[in-house]
Amino acid sequence: MTFKNSCAIAGIGLSKFGQRPGTSAMGFLLQACKRAVEDSGIDRNLVDGCLIAMPAVMGEQHGWATRVAAHLGITARLASTMDMGGATPIGAIQTAALYINAGMAKAVLVGFGMQNNPQGVPIAMMGSQFAFPYGDIGAITFMAHVARRQMHELGVTSRQYGHIAAAFREHASRNPEAQKRELFSVDDHQKSKWVVEPLRLFDCCLVTDGGGAVLVTSLEVARDLKNKPVVLSGAGQEHGAEMIFPGKPRQRPPGAYAADAAFEMAGVTRKDVDVAYIYDGFTPLVMHSLEAFGFCKRGEAGAFVESGALGLHGELPTNTHGGLLSEGHMYGVGHVAEAVRQIRGTAGERQIKDAEVVFVNGYGGAPHEAPPTCSFATLILTKDQGSLSRGTTS
Amino acid sequence: MFGIEKPMPNPTEDTEKYWEATRKGELLIMACGDCGHRYMPPMPICPVCWSESVKWTKASGRGKVYSFIVVHRPQHPAFFPDAPYNVAMIDLEEGPRIHSRIVTEPGQMIDPTLIKVDMPVEVVFEKIDSETTLPMFRPTT
Ligand SMILES: [Zn+2]
Repeated sequence: MTFKNSCAIAGIGLSKFGQRPGTSAMGFLLQACKRAVEDSGIDRNLVDGCLIAMPAVMGEQHGWATRVAAHLGITARLASTMDMGGATPIGAIQTAALYINAGMAKAVLVGFGMQNNPQGVPIAMMGSQFAFPYGDIGAITFMAHVARRQMHELGVTSRQYGHIAAAFREHASRNPEAQKRELFSVDDHQKSKWVVEPLRLFDCCLVTDGGGAVLVTSLEVARDLKNKPVVLSGAGQEHGAEMIFPGKPRQRPPGAYAADAAFEMAGVTRKDVDVAYIYDGFTPLVMHSLEAFGFCKRGEAGAFVESGALGLHGELPTNTHGGLLSEGHMYGVGHVAEAVRQIRGTAGERQIKDAEVVFVNGYGGAPHEAPPTCSFATLILTKDQGSLSRGTTS
Repeated sequence: MFGIEKPMPNPTEDTEKYWEATRKGELLIMACGDCGHRYMPPMPICPVCWSESVKWTKASGRGKVYSFIVVHRPQHPAFFPDAPYNVAMIDLEEGPRIHSRIVTEPGQMIDPTLIKVDMPVEVVFEKIDSETTLPMFRPTT
C-alpha cells in the first residue's frame, strides 16, 4: 500500500487556548483529543494509537504519549512521543498513516499540549556554550539572523515582513477563536517595538497555552464516518542545519526537498494549490518558505507578499485562520485544522471557494544549539474524489 | 524560572581546550587531519569526511561579519541589563562560522549602526571571570 490517498484526517480538535496559565499541558491534550474524536464521530473504543509531540518547554517527559493514552482510557497498539519541534504534528500525521498502512493501528490521535508557565515542572533549557554566553538565545535570535541575511542577499525589507503580518491579522479578525483580532496596518507594524533587530514585535508569533489534535484513519474508515474525509495525498520531510550554518554546499534552500516530495507524491503542482498553510513562527520564515517551497522564485517573495497575494482573494490565500502570528501558537495543528475546514467547506467567512487542494507545512528545530537545526514536514491535503479513486491506492 | 546568572560555558572533554586557549588569548578551531576541513563547533569526527583524526588548530582571528542582530528584549533575564546588545555571526577566514559580539575594545560595546554585513573584523578577548574569557571581534580597516 502506498502512502498516497491511503489515509485521511477524520477529526480535528483544538482545546481552549490563549494565555491560560491554569491548565496543564496534559489538560489541554486530553481536551483536544476528546474533541478530535467527537468531531470524527468514531466509536472511541476504536481509537488505538497516540502520537504526541514532546512538550519542549517542560523538557524531557518520559512516556508522554503513553500517559495521554492512559488518561484517555485507550487500549493503545501504538504510543510514541515525537520530536521535530513545530514540525512534529505534521510529521506525526505521516507516521500515523504509515502505521495504519502497515496494519499496526486503525485510528491514531496526533496531538500536542503546551503550557508556557512552569507549574512546578523544572524547565530544561539546554544550550550551546558557543552561542548562549553572547545572549544569542531562542528561536527569535535565530530568525533575526535569517532576516538579516534575507535583507542582505535579497533586498527584503521590514515593510515586506509587515505585509505578511498584516495579512494574517486580517484573516484572524474573521476568526472568533483567534487570540488577536484587532486589525493593524503595515505602518502600525513599522511602529511596533524592536524585539531582536531586524525583527519587530509584530514579526513574532504569539505565546499560547493550548493543545490540538487530529484523528487519522484509513480513507476507507473515514468514508464511513460523519465528515467528508480530508485525504492525505502527498507528504515530505527535510531535516538539517543549513539555514544560517555553512553545511554541505547545496543548490536549493532548506525545505525545498520537503515540498517537492509532497507535490510529486500527490501529482499536483504549485498552481493547483487553492489555499496554503505556512508555518509562521516569524515573518522571515514565511518569506523563506514561499521561495523554498517553490511558490515564488528566489528573490521574488518580497514583491509577492506586497502584492496582497496572501489575502483571502489573493493569488495564494495563506493562513486564513491567522496563523501562529495571530490565531495563536498552536504548533501547526491550528494550520491543519483550518486546512480541514477549508476542504470540508466549513470555514465560514474565511472559506475559499471550491478549496480542494491544500498545502500545509510544519517547521521546527533546536534554535538553542549551534548550529541551529531545522525540520520541515509537508502535506498535500485533498478533497475525497470518491470511490472511483480507490483502485489507485493499492 | 531562570537563575539570575548568565549561562556561561560549561566545558566538556570536547570543548575544554577551546576555553583554555581563550584564557591565553588564542582562538582555536577544529581541523581534519585527513581532508583538511576546518570546522566549529567541535565534534570528534570530521563533518565532511568522517575522519576521526581531528585536532585543534590556531585560527588567525581574522574574519568578516556574516550576520548581526540587536537584542532589545532578551529571552534570558540575566541579559536584561545589557540590552540592547549585538550578537554577530563571524565567518573566520579559515571557513568556520561562529557566534560572537562586535566591540570597539574588550568590554566596550559598539554603536550597532556601525556594524555592516561583510565588514572585516579581528578577534579580541574579553575576560568575564577567572574561568571564562570570551572571544569578541572588533572592526579592522
Ligand atoms: Zn575531513
